[in-house]
Amino acid sequence: MWTALFAGSETSLMNFTESFSFAISALFALAPTIEGKGDEDLSQAQSHFFESKIRPVLAEHCYRCHSAEEKIKGGLVLDTRAGLRGGGDSGDTIVPGDPEASLLMKAISWFDEDYQMPPKEKLPDAAIEAIGEWIQMGAPVPRKPVEGVVSREMDIEAAREHWSFRSPKQVPLPAVADQSWPRKNLDHFVLAKLEEKQLKPAKEAKPETILRRLNTDLIGLPPSPDEVAAFLRDWHEDTEGAYANKVEALLDSSQFGERWGRHWLDVSRYAESSGKEINTTFPQAWRYRDYVIDAFNADKPYDEFVREQIAGDLLPAGNDAEWQEHLVATGFLAIGPKGLNERDARQFAADLVDEQIDTMSQAVLGLTVSCARCHDHKSDAIPTTDYYALAGIFNNTKTFFGTINQGNTRRATNLLELPQKDSVALRSYTRKEMAALRTRLSKSEVELAEVVRERARQRRSQTPDTQNLNRRFQRLRSSTALLRSKLDSIDLKTGTMKALAMGAQEAALIRPTKVLIRGEVDKPGPEVDRGFLQVLPHTSTSAKPTATHSGRLELAEWLASKSNPLTARVFVNRAWQHLFGQSLVNTPNNFGVSGAQPTHPELLDQLAIGFMDDGWSVKQLVRTLVHSSTYRMSSKFNASHHGIDPTSELLWRHRPRRLDAEAFRDSLLHASGQLDLERPLGSEVGALGDPGFGSRLRGVGDTGASFEYRSVYLPMIRDAVPQSLALFDAADTNLVTGTRESTSVPGQALYMMNNPFVIAQSKAFAKRVANEAAKPRDRVSRAYQVAYGRDPSEQELAAALRYLRTFYIASSKGKSRRKLGHSQLSLESFCQSLLASAEFRYIN
Amino acid sequence: MELPGTLSRRDTLKSISSGFGYLAFAALAHQQARAESETRIDPLAPKPAHFPARAKRVIFLSMRGAPSHVDTFDYKPALKRDDGKPGKNARLRSNALMGSPWSFAQHGKSGLWMSELFPGLAKHADDLCMLHGMHTDVPNHPQAQIQMHTGSFQFVRPSLGAWTLYGLGTENANLPGFVALNPPSGNTQAFGSSFLPAVYQGARFGRSARGPRHRGKGEAIPNIANPMLDREQQRMQLDFVQNLNRKQLKHDQYQPEIEGMIESYELAFRMQDELPELMNVQDESKETRELYGINGSDTDSFGRQCLLARRLSEAGVRFVELTHSNWDHHRNLSTDLPNRCGEIDQPIAGLLADLKRRDLLKDTLVVWAGEFGRTPHSQGGNGRDHNNKGYTAWMAGGGVKGGFSYGATDEHGYAAVTDKMHIHDWHATILHLLGMNHEQLTYRHAGRDFRLTDVHGEVAKAILA
Repeated sequence: MWTALFAGSETSLMNFTESFSFAISALFALAPTIEGKGDEDLSQAQSHFFESKIRPVLAEHCYRCHSAEEKIKGGLVLDTRAGLRGGGDSGDTIVPGDPEASLLMKAISWFDEDYQMPPKEKLPDAAIEAIGEWIQMGAPVPRKPVEGVVSREMDIEAAREHWSFRSPKQVPLPAVADQSWPRKNLDHFVLAKLEEKQLKPAKEAKPETILRRLNTDLIGLPPSPDEVAAFLRDWHEDTEGAYANKVEALLDSSQFGERWGRHWLDVSRYAESSGKEINTTFPQAWRYRDYVIDAFNADKPYDEFVREQIAGDLLPAGNDAEWQEHLVATGFLAIGPKGLNERDARQFAADLVDEQIDTMSQAVLGLTVSCARCHDHKSDAIPTTDYYALAGIFNNTKTFFGTINQGNTRRATNLLELPQKDSVALRSYTRKEMAALRTRLSKSEVELAEVVRERARQRRSQTPDTQNLNRRFQRLRSSTALLRSKLDSIDLKTGTMKALAMGAQEAALIRPTKVLIRGEVDKPGPEVDRGFLQVLPHTSTSAKPTATHSGRLELAEWLASKSNPLTARVFVNRAWQHLFGQSLVNTPNNFGVSGAQPTHPELLDQLAIGFMDDGWSVKQLVRTLVHSSTYRMSSKFNASHHGIDPTSELLWRHRPRRLDAEAFRDSLLHASGQLDLERPLGSEVGALGDPGFGSRLRGVGDTGASFEYRSVYLPMIRDAVPQSLALFDAADTNLVTGTRESTSVPGQALYMMNNPFVIAQSKAFAKRVANEAAKPRDRVSRAYQVAYGRDPSEQELAAALRYLRTFYIASSKGKSRRKLGHSQLSLESFCQSLLASAEFRYIN
Repeated sequence: MELPGTLSRRDTLKSISSGFGYLAFAALAHQQARAESETRIDPLAPKPAHFPARAKRVIFLSMRGAPSHVDTFDYKPALKRDDGKPGKNARLRSNALMGSPWSFAQHGKSGLWMSELFPGLAKHADDLCMLHGMHTDVPNHPQAQIQMHTGSFQFVRPSLGAWTLYGLGTENANLPGFVALNPPSGNTQAFGSSFLPAVYQGARFGRSARGPRHRGKGEAIPNIANPMLDREQQRMQLDFVQNLNRKQLKHDQYQPEIEGMIESYELAFRMQDELPELMNVQDESKETRELYGINGSDTDSFGRQCLLARRLSEAGVRFVELTHSNWDHHRNLSTDLPNRCGEIDQPIAGLLADLKRRDLLKDTLVVWAGEFGRTPHSQGGNGRDHNNKGYTAWMAGGGVKGGFSYGATDEHGYAAVTDKMHIHDWHATILHLLGMNHEQLTYRHAGRDFRLTDVHGEVAKAILA
């Protein structure tokens, strides 16, 4: 074996890089005139050997530093035929036919401490072996590199005919037989379809039912008994007036943003940690959460909302407050899941960009553009080159997500410092504390420097013993990074924590982007211009990216333009789903060819056009939808209609729905009277490690177990979502969630039966009921009003009283663990029963 | 009120109804029948396999940290011979090839080679099917662990257990169908369902399931016991809840979700009884506990897990996964590896013996694997580095050939060279043994059909008995 030959060679004191690069430059200068094996002699097998065994290795491990396209360290170029072939004088890089004499072999076999290439990680054995073999056979290099994956012919023009890629069309209202039913234009479309199938819309729901539905849909909370009573009074006086007033009051309430903001947080895969292997907190992610909630409360036009999240940092801002808001909005690009232990910086960067494209395209466009990362999209006309045209925009964007380089966390970045201070600082430090931090940091830095020096000394010795040193090095590097980040996040003048945010900025230097063959970072293909998707229309408003900018601003304009046929359609479909429990397009994140067809295409188009004409106002959209007769239908079952349309796809009734995780938990707190409607400052995640830049998490347990704020403010750690939400199908924080599941699993049942949080709410609920009413009868009624928003029937009342009595008697007689308070226990267990029941969990 | 676990849902409803005359149960039963015959399909109901299955259930023994293959199951005489010579992948001159310090011998009628570190398991040599040609994509623990569990180290995908449950449903409606015992904290992806419906995710039981804060506090199964009510009180309460639910169901006439909710309460109530009982190994005979090494010694912890695995499998749990950690022997190989092996040898031998005598081994697939193997050369003289190019896993029971060796690494054990088995192939083979075609087990998500094996995977037909 040739490798063995190096084992005994003397360690040269000469700096390897210098000697190597000297040799290489000499070689390189001569390269054009030196010929190795003639091309004519290259057998197909040799060509194949090079392309399959050698070029991939060089591409993966060497081109980063030795490529005509990337950088040319030490003058060595390994990605051109000229650079590879031939030999030189002393220390020949490649001596064809003689691996032992080739400096390249010496470098890659890593036998000498000072002769090691690639410097960070040794090549796999198979690769070293193959290179040896290749040199042995004369280092043949074919003239032409293998071309990139050839794009199959895609008929983009034909693909533009797909329904969702065409602009929404205004159509006249369809004729309907029952003129008295429609309230809004949208009702005509619904009714026409129903009449076509000889179906009748269900009657209007009862006012109590409508109120509970409306409350839940708009603010995610049930109405209180007093609100129910007032509404019923008004309804009987002036039905339409009462309804309209209620809608306005709910739209104006600051709980509206908490409900509708959460819907957007589902699609923007909001979470407060990196997830994946090295789960590290994002203690500043909450600013983005609050931004989203505030945007829905302020009825920020949806087009502006999209623009800010994609390119807020590049938008003009009238003042610091606006600038701040825009910066925080770009957190959209930064909060995704990340593999922070990735060794390869390019791989990390490519995955980051992919995650951004994936989220943006599914969330805003309802397209799965990321499929085109490795090959042309299988069903949509999105060639790989389109993917990289978009990737070019994000490649030239710098994403700031914080985190600290410690242990296996290798990919930390800085955070954005916001122009405005927090009105209430998240944390304050005394002068003494700051001084102590500084002292500890400088001590840590000094020790770290010592260890680095000592380690270098040891490495040169005959019997190196670096194990303990390595451990110390790791520890010190971590503690130094942690202390530095801590100091970095403090405003040293005031001692308060700086206002930091996750977000994005333009790259300092705009660079061209290449297609990556099969998505592999080591296989760059042809260069592509930055741009958008060809299959969607481009207009004068969607200017092309220029050479001096990433093009992110233009991308944002293009996404949020009225001429983009998808953006408005995708959003109105989402809004429809949140109010009707089903979508017009059943695949809300996929409007492509493989997605579902709309059940009511004209209706979808009218809504999209109306949405844009109303200045992209989400509140106006919601108002339109809830004022329809369609929304106010009862959910009453109808066997004959069910036979024709079992899922009520055509909307012959309102579909009953389970409360989603947040609404359910909030309703529990609402019933118990414990809900705190204030917005908490920041997030509990900040307390789980470094409050500025974040720390790695290990086994955090069930977070937020006794949290009494609204659920949207619970700490959202990837892979450790609070049990109270995770059990009830909260959004998967690793994915763009368009539709939540609605499961009924025993874990939920156990939670409702036995969980301390539920028991605490049941007790508080019982206490409240006992305070608000004295007689058992009245207590039962009150409990029904609080939990269900209605009075119990006589039958229900009787059953409840019977239960209270039976439970009391059985408990006093039995060998209960409790000696006293059986009456209280009965009431508590009754209250818990209501919370655990289907009527509490489902809205009709 | 005693509720035998075997009652069907309809029977259960009838038995509960007896005390509450005011509910119109005839109409309800009618609705139930309708619901059953119509759209509702219980996602956990047993489903037919694609073809006759060899294995009905899986016990997966997951070794975290990557055990050394060349010191355990992959006998390399050439490595011994070349001890001290420079290894191909050595970073330093002192990192020479290191023959295994442990002696190997042949065992059983089949003459399977195993090292002296597994004396107990060696007695079951004729049941073991060695997979010597294993390889995976990344030599990093976290990624390789995730890939071993989900097929992908890059994307969040459903786990092997979730796919199994999705494909086959569960056999015992009183228990979760996929249980992870003593799972490492974090790491939920390894037991997650990703885009598959959440019912397929693993139920995680064991001391670290709820994080270190809860360690040692006893409550291994979340929310399994009520701190306030005794059983009778809770049954009374539950009857009341179920009456409310049934009333709602009657009111709504057709509501599969509420029906599912009613079932889930009954299952939860039964789980409260069955699960803690099942998790309590004290009612096993002393002989059985000894068999697994449950005797307060080093084998106690893993022995309990193995015994629990048998009890859960026997009770109808489709996929049980156990975890044993600390196999990352960069250093102190000579002392740490024998310790780790000692901790699992008797428990696993006991598990195989116990399954066999209960006639369960024939249709229970026992799988042992780490996320990758270790280098034939030494690291620092008494350790081995990561090696993902070649390593050994094994299977037993459930339709695999016993006393069989499949695949091989090169003479030193660096890389798989013959009958190579990538994680995708390994997954395809496991699914095949369970009667599923890995290319047909798909789930539609984000506009396309996903598979556990992505676009790869080849069934190792040669190992099928």
